[in-house]
Amino acid sequence: MPGVFDRLQKEIEDKQAQGGITALDLADLPPVLRKIMRLMLRELQLSYPQLTEAVASFPDTERIPRNDLDEALAALTSQSWLIRIGQGEKAIYKVNLRRKAGSTIASGIWNTLDSKLKK
Amino acid sequence: MAGGKIVSIHSFRGGTGKSNTTANVASQIALKGKRVGIVDTDIQSPGIHVLFGLDETKMGRTLNDFLHGKCPISEVAFNVGEKAADSEGRAKLAGKELWLFPSSIRGREISQILREGYDVNRLNEGFQTILKELKLDYLFIDTHPGLNEETLLSIAISDILIIVLRPDNQDFQGTAVTVDIARSLDVPHLILMVNKAVPKYDFADIQKQVEDKFHAPVAGVLPLSFDIADNASRDIFSLRSPDHDWSKALRGVADAVAAVK
Repeated sequence: MPGVFDRLQKEIEDKQAQGGITALDLADLPPVLRKIMRLMLRELQLSYPQLTEAVASFPDTERIPRNDLDEALAALTSQSWLIRIGQGEKAIYKVNLRRKAGSTIASGIWNTLDSKLKK
Repeated sequence: MAGGKIVSIHSFRGGTGKSNTTANVASQIALKGKRVGIVDTDIQSPGIHVLFGLDETKMGRTLNDFLHGKCPISEVAFNVGEKAADSEGRAKLAGKELWLFPSSIRGREISQILREGYDVNRLNEGFQTILKELKLDYLFIDTHPGLNEETLLSIAISDILIIVLRPDNQDFQGTAVTVDIARSLDVPHLILMVNKAVPKYDFADIQKQVEDKFHAPVAGVLPLSFDIADNASRDIFSLRSPDHDWSKALRGVADAVAAVK
């Protein structure tokens, strides 16, 4: 029987499969969203209280009001760019980068290369 | 945020001396007593391991193994300070806190990454884990030239981005692209380094031209040198020949990185 961590991991994997952000997408984000994503990229995951604490430590000119933070988090999670586990004060946020796609060239080329490289 | 700084070294075009610069700047900072890591994210064409005396026979786990979930990132670490005292330059790194995270040089493993792709979250988790577990002061990321997922991610998470360019019009155009992207991604500190400058020109003039064009500081103009070519990536040149003009200018770049608070 799967434990709580197995179920949480499955939930994260299911949400990751729904998409994710590329680093290039970050460049097109509004400044507030980009700032949050850069923070999350460095921290990997943060609880909501940790996030509010981190945002409160930004320089005065870059500080994000609580309402704007909540709206930003809602926007980022709705795009599956951040994954949220849990709700409200207990929510944990985790960044979700899109998987790097494999090559689209014909698989036969890779098979031929592999067989050559085995020799 | 994690305590250490992430420093990405990038050039838009190949052949600028990016890996050589990364190895030398990281080594100079390790010499200052800092804890330094280097990750080779040039998965398609890895090379920085050569400068640290690693070849296929000596290479253990690689970044490719980590990305495929075969090992934790800690198993990829090659402790340069313990193992690389096999040349005149590298011997100066003995006892220093410098770790290399190489990419695989095996053809099948390179083709596997290209064919299957990989989880970019895992790559980022690897970077952050290295910073925290090794308590690094600096994590250097050697990137693939041009723009791809690894490169863009490394730029996006960087505290400092060093862009290496030659005094060449093709490099100037490509550098403009990288500078634009770095600014779009809010990279806090952007440093330019001009490499392979022909010695007959006035380096102060080159520095001014580049700074005026990109509105970013140039930390060093390094000469085109037969001595570097003759080193042929066998050693860390600035450690082997510390009094060479190239090495002196390179130390200026390391000082610029170290000066960032």
